Amino acid sequence: MQDGMFTTALVGQPNVGKSSLFTRLTGVGVISSNYPGTTVEFEEAVIMRKGNKVRVYDLPGTYGMSGNSEDEKVVLEMVKNPDIDSVIVIADAANLQSSLVLCFEVMELGLPMILAVNKIDEAKKKFDTDFEALEKILDVPVVPVSARTSDGVDALADAVCEGRARISSFEVKYSDSVESMILSLAEQVTPARFGNFGTAVKLMEGTQSFIDYVDDDVAATAEKFRKELESSHEESADIMIARDRYSISDAIVRKIQSKTLTKMSKKDRISEIMITPITGIPILIGVMLSVFLAIIFIGNFLDELVEDLYVTLMGNTLADFGQSIGGDFGRVVFVGLDQSILAVLTLIIPYILVFYIILGILEDSGYLPRAVVLLDRVMHRFGLHGGAFIPMIVGLGCNVPAVMATRSIHSRREKLIVTTLIALCVPCSAQLAIIFGIVGNFSGIFYSFLILFIVLILMAVIGVLLNHFMTKEPSNLAMEIPELEVPSLKNVLFKTWDRIKDFFYIAFPLLVVGSILVQIALDYDLLDFIVDPLSFITVTMLGLPAVVVIAFLAGILRKEMAVVILATLLVSGDIGSLGAAMSPEQFFIFGLVMAIYMPCLATMAVIWQELGWKETLVIAAFSIGTAIAIGTMANLMITIF
Amino acid sequence: MSASVFNQNSEIKIKFCLGRAKYINITAIIVPMTSGNREDYLIEILRLTNGEGKVKNQELAERLNVSPASVSEMIKVLSNEGYVKYTKYVGAELTEKGLEYARQLRKKHDLMERFLTDVLDVDPVTAHEEAHRMEHAISDESAQRICRIIGSPDNEDCKLCDDYNPDEGGCRIDTKLSDMLPGETGKISHLRSETPAIIKRLISMGFVPGREVCMDSNISKVGPKVVSVGNATFALDSETAESVMVKKSDN
Repeated sequence: MQDGMFTTALVGQPNVGKSSLFTRLTGVGVISSNYPGTTVEFEEAVIMRKGNKVRVYDLPGTYGMSGNSEDEKVVLEMVKNPDIDSVIVIADAANLQSSLVLCFEVMELGLPMILAVNKIDEAKKKFDTDFEALEKILDVPVVPVSARTSDGVDALADAVCEGRARISSFEVKYSDSVESMILSLAEQVTPARFGNFGTAVKLMEGTQSFIDYVDDDVAATAEKFRKELESSHEESADIMIARDRYSISDAIVRKIQSKTLTKMSKKDRISEIMITPITGIPILIGVMLSVFLAIIFIGNFLDELVEDLYVTLMGNTLADFGQSIGGDFGRVVFVGLDQSILAVLTLIIPYILVFYIILGILEDSGYLPRAVVLLDRVMHRFGLHGGAFIPMIVGLGCNVPAVMATRSIHSRREKLIVTTLIALCVPCSAQLAIIFGIVGNFSGIFYSFLILFIVLILMAVIGVLLNHFMTKEPSNLAMEIPELEVPSLKNVLFKTWDRIKDFFYIAFPLLVVGSILVQIALDYDLLDFIVDPLSFITVTMLGLPAVVVIAFLAGILRKEMAVVILATLLVSGDIGSLGAAMSPEQFFIFGLVMAIYMPCLATMAVIWQELGWKETLVIAAFSIGTAIAIGTMANLMITIF
Repeated sequence: MSASVFNQNSEIKIKFCLGRAKYINITAIIVPMTSGNREDYLIEILRLTNGEGKVKNQELAERLNVSPASVSEMIKVLSNEGYVKYTKYVGAELTEKGLEYARQLRKKHDLMERFLTDVLDVDPVTAHEEAHRMEHAISDESAQRICRIIGSPDNEDCKLCDDYNPDEGGCRIDTKLSDMLPGETGKISHLRSETPAIIKRLISMGFVPGREVCMDSNISKVGPKVVSVGNATFALDSETAESVMVKKSDN
């Protein structure tokens, strides 16, 4: 119970569709994609049925209840909380064996539960499943559902709200030698949140978080038992326990599910083509190129469309309105407002929109994990495994969820490398908008790609250096590869909206206020005390107009602020358009520096949370230094040639 | 399981019977005095000490569920035969001869247990019990033959085996998952890795002994492998895939 409300949590293996089901159950949209590890934080919502209110938590995917990685720890901690009254275990109908093993673990821990078997629409095509028999065997309510078609979602919501979750009487029977040790341990464990038997099993498995949790002498006995077992069975206790669980789960599945067809499907063949290097690498390059080309061309098209529309519709309305209420000063303020609205609508939104739609399609198709397989070897040179590719791609949208996504990475060393690379070398959608929108428009597409190329080289250099100078730690790829799916338009559009809505709710007002403030400050020469001391960097080193420094500073708040402020700074009375304010080369250097320097405040806050303040400061300082150095070099090259 | 494997099973049984007949001849020559009961003592001392140190009679009595008096009597016999060294008030320890013998027995026990559970699908409890009886009955040669067919993890106990070849990973006929070719299938026999974290992850992802695996794509020696276990597909890098030992099935 939490605030007097019955509380339940969704627990399931990665990529079984917890988040989609959560969205269907509660109507609260959470991002779901077709790769393991989309959810790293928990989300909550309330469902109401027949007058009963139940709070539901969506948790990250977990293979077991042992807390092996950070996102798995989140699940264990959450479930340990006595506020959680019951657990809904989500199983994958097409992979019941593994799902049932997780289900056994939850049962053993003595938590009241409901088993929701998801993806029945897919599974039905392959085999018949006898859910009633499963319910009888497991002695908990079993609800077949499909988050995709919404089948069974109502039944699940009813089951949850009627409080049908219950503690199962089903017991996993372990081999005698293990079982007797478990029982003897269970007697010594003091009753707590989790059942004694379940805790004893966890102790036999050698699960650290449970060992820390019990008295030292119990832990010592468990340790003795584990050693004893290993010496007499030449297999460690955790393997023996897993072996027994799987043999029981296999037996159950054999009983309730007809045999799988093992014919190679069309999906498998496409998948094969995607992961075979000879065909896969050209596909990967093609995919990445089309992402950028789509951003450029579709983005550009939308950009012009919106600009025409805006100018036709608004004309000088805002400027005149300003004049009418505040005279010349009013006009200045409202021209600034006009410019910043236009900048957001044309230079930012179209590019971000296009990118997020493509990202949504890529995520839902299941292509990303296949790119991971291809890239694994290359990434090893940077001390990473292929899995780090996914946070990086997510980082092209926004660095904040990208840094959070590094939680699925097991070693701290790797997290640090990936985070640094994301902060410095992965331009977020606002930065992409600058690269393709501003630089693309005012310097040319060649310069846009030059920036991407430089950033890519920088990524390789930093990656290799970090890998070389940081103490080695094993980095291993072990990642589930989901089936390929045809992305659902609904989910893609939902995700796109969910990800860009911040621009309208938060960024827009901030931008408008910011640009007005800058406009006023400019008018009264209030910015000189910032602009002048830093002009050595801006003018001498980077070859940009001195006031641009204000745009850089604004970009720390949010990257798109830089664009708006740049427009405000440079487009004043005499210069009619942004394009005329700087030379193409200057726009290129501006874009280059923007792409590398300083993560925005929100990103720094997550890096702080994930890695600590020292690392955050080092990354920030490092990125500023690198950006200035590279910008200066580019400026030198341009001046020389 | 395919028909050919089934044929093999029945063949094993025949060999096993032959082996047993042979065993009688061999034991008559080598160890005329040691009965199954005595062997239980040796194997239990090995399990308790793992080859080092002494074990008290009391402890043995508890483990074997017999009276301390019969323990001391048996220890005397074993000591006379040169299998154990007994020090009063301290306990018994295995001599070199005794250690070697006990290791062979333990290996036979593990092998038979494996054979019963993995090949014949006998439930673990029965398998353990029957293996306990079979360990005394099977000859070295038959044990080796079974080992060659079903494979078993190589360990200390294996070193006494004539087939043991440390350079080629012992006498196991298990294959590393990383060495399997695309399309090959098999059953996981055991997991081994220097890094416990890898084992933990493998277990949690369902790479558990006894389960069927299939290599979907294995492009290069060092590159990642795409493997199916149950109905799930995973990408594993070569180091992780090397930790999974597989008994290949013949297709």
